[in-house]
Amino acid sequence: MNAPLIVDGVTTSIRLDGQRHDVVRDISFQVAARETLALVGESGCGKSMTALSIMGLLPAGIASVSAGKIIVDGIDMVAADETVRESVRGNRIGMIFQEPMTSLNPVLPIGFQVGEALMQHQGLSRSAARAKALDLLEHVRIPSAARRLDDYPHQFSGGMRQRVMIALALACGPKVLIADEPTTALDVTIQRQVLALLADLQAREGLAVLLITHNLGVVASVADRVMVMYGGDVVESADVKDFFARPTHPYSVALLAAMPRIDATEGPQPIPGQVPSLDAMPSGCRFQSRCHLRQDVCSTLPPLKPVAGNPGHQVRCWMRGDT
Amino acid sequence: MTRAPLLDIRDLRKTYRVKHGWPIARTSHVRALDGISLSVMPGEVLGVVGESGCGKSTLARVALRLQPADGGDVRFDGVNVLAASRSELRQLRRRMQMIFQDPSSSLDGRQRIIEALGEPLRVHGLASGASLRPTVARLLDEVGLPASALDRYPHEFSGGQRQRIGIARALALGPDLIFADEPVSALDVSVQAQILQLLGTIRATRNLALVFISHDLAVVRAFCQRVVVMYLGRIVESGDVGEVFSAPKHPYTQLLKASSPEPNPAKKIALSFQEGEPPSPLNPPTGCHFHPRCPLAVDRCRQEAPVLRMVAGQGAVACHLTETG
Repeated sequence: MNAPLIVDGVTTSIRLDGQRHDVVRDISFQVAARETLALVGESGCGKSMTALSIMGLLPAGIASVSAGKIIVDGIDMVAADETVRESVRGNRIGMIFQEPMTSLNPVLPIGFQVGEALMQHQGLSRSAARAKALDLLEHVRIPSAARRLDDYPHQFSGGMRQRVMIALALACGPKVLIADEPTTALDVTIQRQVLALLADLQAREGLAVLLITHNLGVVASVADRVMVMYGGDVVESADVKDFFARPTHPYSVALLAAMPRIDATEGPQPIPGQVPSLDAMPSGCRFQSRCHLRQDVCSTLPPLKPVAGNPGHQVRCWMRGDT
Repeated sequence: MTRAPLLDIRDLRKTYRVKHGWPIARTSHVRALDGISLSVMPGEVLGVVGESGCGKSTLARVALRLQPADGGDVRFDGVNVLAASRSELRQLRRRMQMIFQDPSSSLDGRQRIIEALGEPLRVHGLASGASLRPTVARLLDEVGLPASALDRYPHEFSGGQRQRIGIARALALGPDLIFADEPVSALDVSVQAQILQLLGTIRATRNLALVFISHDLAVVRAFCQRVVVMYLGRIVESGDVGEVFSAPKHPYTQLLKASSPEPNPAKKIALSFQEGEPPSPLNPPTGCHFHPRCPLAVDRCRQEAPVLRMVAGQGAVACHLTETG
């Protein structure tokens, strides 16, 4: 059986002042049912652009997928027209964002908003949609859900709002869930509950989850595989255990060393410099301007190659990985 | 010889009146600070940890007298901050400064950096005319920005650079103490580490004391010497940062630690639906505020608020269950 989400050689470009810039370059991955793949990186690394490319939600006229294929539950999202994409969103793929308040309508009760999605995508009647909305809110463990159907978004705490968003994203039974920094705005004790809820729903419904996060702690706790992105390139890809046991790309190593840790006696080590702006990206490896291993060969883009003979662990670096 | 603390806060209280409900509004009271006591020695870094709504930001605002207190005592180098006259307060503001989470919201977008940083220097008579530019340039250099930044506007800088500008402004008047309210929370990890390193260097060279407010245990562990943990307006635990985080004694500190994910798959956080949400500060629980979420709560916890008591070592804990044994 094919994986519910297949991304194959996708490049996403934006137009800025008449110039084309690739913000995601040649990214390929698959996410199987019940699997969680984490896309990790800092601001501007291309992880959110990858998600928007998959959803077909890139801002029209500015950004577009310029190469590659994206197959969601058997349907090619790049080749499809907007009507097809519209029906894939919601029915086959759901998405949740960092800040649920920006996706919820502040002047409509949440029961209505969840029900509206069901009426639109599944053609349910108003009363059937309300009953299903209640089911969904109970499904995401909102306490006294029946009493809260007619409450407005501002009456919910941040954690509860994120549960409402999850209920909305899963309303039509998608096979794929894209979670873009779903717990970044939450307190840690609430983050833990929302991650537990996502893991439980994933197991019960067999979801393929693409988790987009900057937090390597969250990755270690919930992901099966991880892909590290920098400047639009995948620089390392591995099973979570292999990645943390043997981080290999100089950026992965630096990123881990930059994280403060509760159990560490040493402070975090900064990565010198900053991500180059789009119009100043070096040719070849985009991390070279901050890399202590830089050689002349780095001005040519290295391929992804295995680490220690493990085809499941790949790194994009001339100085690292198998030759 | 025991040194006197630079900042000494005793039983500080702050209550906000909140109107809610429609069409007939009711007034409720939120005790943002419910008897907070702490002290900071010269050159010391004290972490203040807690989740949204625990009162940690209010603590900074009230201690700096940006907002009035409702009770208690704040002494800075022996001066009574809450009773200070206008001219005393002016002197105090030179010595106590603040850094915010989002520096762009505290910088005027239409002011060049030279103006934003020069203004406090002029107002306090520390530099003017020809001496202004070199003084501001020195400040920028201290925070790792080139002198070419002087004539630029805040929007021309990245988030990390703007935080450097925020730090430079807090340093402009040569303070002895800085309240830093989530100074690195909005930054990417690699930039966060740069700013922490910068703050560490500045702290050491200027012998600054810092009150470092954060929700992130790992950041506090990396940067602070002592820590106080707050929950709904009260301190529940305090002590040496290494001791508190390696062996937390209060059940809330234990929950915070157990919920903080670490980049190590061998130490996954246990995914759990339990422990509820923090109760509304509008209507806090009786007794120990944490009892509805506490797995160990007994009847006494529901009735009687525990007081912060010294425990073995240097720490203090507010929990009935740690009193025995």
